[in-house]
Amino acid sequence: MTDQIREQISALLDGELASGEISLLVRRMERDAELRRAFGNYVLAGESLRAPGGLTASPGFAARVSAALEADGAAVTTPPVTGRHAPRRWLRPLAGAAVAAGAALAAILFVPGGGEGGGQLAESTAVPPAMIVASLPPGGASPTPAQNQRMAGYLVAHGQYASAIGRRNAWSNALAADPGITRVALEIVERP
Amino acid sequence: MANFPPSDGSIDGHEPRDARERPASGVEQSDLELVRRVQRGERGAFDLLVLRYQHRVVKLVARLLRDPTEAEDVAQEAFVKAYRAIGSFRGDSAFYTWLYRIAVNTARNTMASRQRRPLDYEAELSESEQSVVESRMRHGDTPEAVALSEEIHQTVNRAVEDLPEDLRTAIILREIEGLSYEEIAAAMDCPVGTVRSRIFRAREAIDRNLKPLLD
Repeated sequence: MTDQIREQISALLDGELASGEISLLVRRMERDAELRRAFGNYVLAGESLRAPGGLTASPGFAARVSAALEADGAAVTTPPVTGRHAPRRWLRPLAGAAVAAGAALAAILFVPGGGEGGGQLAESTAVPPAMIVASLPPGGASPTPAQNQRMAGYLVAHGQYASAIGRRNAWSNALAADPGITRVALEIVERP
Repeated sequence: MANFPPSDGSIDGHEPRDARERPASGVEQSDLELVRRVQRGERGAFDLLVLRYQHRVVKLVARLLRDPTEAEDVAQEAFVKAYRAIGSFRGDSAFYTWLYRIAVNTARNTMASRQRRPLDYEAELSESEQSVVESRMRHGDTPEAVALSEEIHQTVNRAVEDLPEDLRTAIILREIEGLSYEEIAAAMDCPVGTVRSRIFRAREAIDRNLKPLLD
């Protein structure tokens, strides 16, 4: 252990270590108990100078906390981001829905074209999907059932009249926006 | 049933009022760096935060519980909760302020679960009440804890007194007055690098004296 590293530890304690030096030092300290001990004693000296008397943590306290975290398997949890920078809830892909969506997409791509219902759907949903997505509620709100219905209707109709590449593009865009759209689309396809 | 603290630690809006407990902005920045590393999965960075704040948290919890024998268990629980919730720490307040709130809430939950009356935090934080509480706490300290604490204090003081004047001045300005390296450099009329070196050498000298006591 060099004095240079210990001097860095002292500077870290005072908030005077350059940001770029912290990462390497933290990794060194993670591996080196003697460096952690030195850091602990620097802290203790400062506490003792500032507030003499009273209780201090016993020498093994920090190690016990570390062991408790290890034994507990405690993990850092990151809550959902909120506010205007938050991704829209309904844009977040869900694993299960994505699998279902994939299967449904394959089924729909092979639905035979034509049919009276398909034609009606195509007529009633002549609005491009991008415009429908744009009309969805802002700020993380989920699309309403009616909006889902419109989008799914468009996609089913599109699947019956468009080329294979066009169908794929429309569905990829819609699935990226809302995996749950597949359920609604399936309801339409299966409608008598 | 015990209430867990909200993940943002905002349980009662109280923050440490003792100026000595308010870290300098450099320390806050350093803490924030460590927190960001913990949030990215570096557990070792959290160990350093525990090392840095263990004494303050144990002292605070002991003060609230009026029972120093269980202070470390409750302080440990507070650190574990803080680790779990650290993903939500956004840096809006100093890390210690956030940790302080979690510790207060954990102590309060412990008190509630044992149906004992917690201290009034507002009163506890006022200067006059604080000395009363500290006095009570000292009465409840185990003889071993009191003896060790006293020995540490004497050892540190002796080591500081034995330091050459330039090192002693630098460490006192830093630890007691809370000055930044730049402010100390201005006060001592020397480069910042010299201040950093002097403070380090002072700490090393103190550590050489403390080591046999704590090993």
